[in-house]
Amino acid sequence: MVKSISTPMRIATMAFVVFTAIFLLAPLVVVVGVSVSESQFIAFPPSGFSLRWYEEVLGSDAYVGAAWISLRVAILVTLTATFVGGAAAIALHRRKLPFSGALATFFLSPLVLPTIIYAIGMLMLWSAIFGPVSIVTLWLSHTVITIPYVVRTTLAVLSESDPFLEEAAQTMGASRLQRLWLVVVPQCRPGLIAGAFFAFNISFDEAVLALFLRKPGLTTLPVQIYGQLEFSPDPSVAAVSTIMIALTITLILVIDRLLGVQKFASA
Amino acid sequence: MNDRAENTLLVLPGLALLALAFFVPITQMLILSVSGDDGPTLAHFTRFLGDPYYLGVLWRTVRLSILITVICAAIGFPLAYIMARVGPRLRLWLIVLVILPLMTSVVVRTFGWMVLLSRSGLIPEMLRDMGLVGRNFAIMQTETAIVIGMVQVLLPFMTLSILGIVTRIDPRLEEAARTMGCTFLQSLRTVVLPLAVPGIIAGSLLVFTLSASSFVTPNLLGGSRIQVLAASIYRSVTQTLDWPFAAAQAVILFVGILLILVPYARLAGGRSNG
Repeated sequence: MVKSISTPMRIATMAFVVFTAIFLLAPLVVVVGVSVSESQFIAFPPSGFSLRWYEEVLGSDAYVGAAWISLRVAILVTLTATFVGGAAAIALHRRKLPFSGALATFFLSPLVLPTIIYAIGMLMLWSAIFGPVSIVTLWLSHTVITIPYVVRTTLAVLSESDPFLEEAAQTMGASRLQRLWLVVVPQCRPGLIAGAFFAFNISFDEAVLALFLRKPGLTTLPVQIYGQLEFSPDPSVAAVSTIMIALTITLILVIDRLLGVQKFASA
Repeated sequence: MNDRAENTLLVLPGLALLALAFFVPITQMLILSVSGDDGPTLAHFTRFLGDPYYLGVLWRTVRLSILITVICAAIGFPLAYIMARVGPRLRLWLIVLVILPLMTSVVVRTFGWMVLLSRSGLIPEMLRDMGLVGRNFAIMQTETAIVIGMVQVLLPFMTLSILGIVTRIDPRLEEAARTMGCTFLQSLRTVVLPLAVPGIIAGSLLVFTLSASSFVTPNLLGGSRIQVLAASIYRSVTQTLDWPFAAAQAVILFVGILLILVPYARLAGGRSNG
């Protein structure tokens, strides 16, 4: 006879899940709580309710400027990484190139190297060749660290695709470009979309490269928040942070609509 | 145009970008780590390895990273197992529970912990009210704060790594073990855990690397007195502007990670094969 799971075991499991959920979500909940506080000081639980810190954030040049830079970088990165990474994944999937295995490893290598090491290298090289960093530096380096995600999600989708569709298109007289654009790319679409979301999210939230590659006037939102936290945090930091959390939740909801969160998690 | 040309054109942009914007910068950093005023030198390395202060920083980094990895594995394995075995609705919620913090900026999450752990924060207050600690108790600016914050930051990576493996374990194996008289915990320990080892190893490698190389959370929760290696690198780059020394520390960080991870991966890999 199968021994069933005992009641104390079930209770322990439930307690474990609840405790872990609290542990994982607590910092986010606290940030949202602080952001609607009336008080001048950071305190949780918040005292009173007010949206004054949101007003302050939306009227602050520093925050709005930083958000604008973050957004511009993230959009540029998303477009480039999806295009470059997607194209590479299509070629890697065919395994027709010499050293295919080594090439695949090459494309995933930025995942393995700690970002801080890459950040120093980029800063040193850029300073040696071009002088002061610019938005281009941030764009290039964020693209480098997001390409592996696009390659991985696209390869995962392609490995389940039908290899004969392209052949069929060829038999029917489709040109190379038509085959690529009308047959292969649509097959990749879920992988490309998932990769694009990864790229946007990583670039928008990334703090390490952005901290190393900053200068006055080139501060992304996470760097702006980091600076505030180091010196003089007030509830306005919580309001910006809450806006970032809201953006993340929106991204997750959109991903769930388009692909299903479960698929995304396993990518 | 033939197939070869088409495929080459497709990989070329990525190949060029990674070569120029990834491998060249790393090479530049390696060169800088051994460059001195008069030719190549190992002075930056001997300066680090001969200074008890920096050796202490290195030791703290290793110690905390191991601790964070072990705690992540201890929470991540049961969590991943539960996620793999519950019904689809609850699983969706648990996945969101793991992904939401994962996709939220590290800066934002660390801020949350700063509020929770500060002197007048919720957690020290609760501990004081329960009479578990004295009036002067503080968690902020301690290694404990770093560990708490880092475990929350890195737990999703561990959980998802293990989840990928655990979902592929056939539930009938556990049923068989239980039919033969195993209790639930016994089947977990003798059937699921050994099969999940590859996931736990992959997760540990990832968490250890990320933990050893992070400085945002340790800086904000540990303060400037409790330095880890990555924080020291950041300081050398932005405050003392000693770039060759920063490069040497980065090399030490990477070599250190490899020195710990390669034997671990080999040991664990050998065990799961035999």
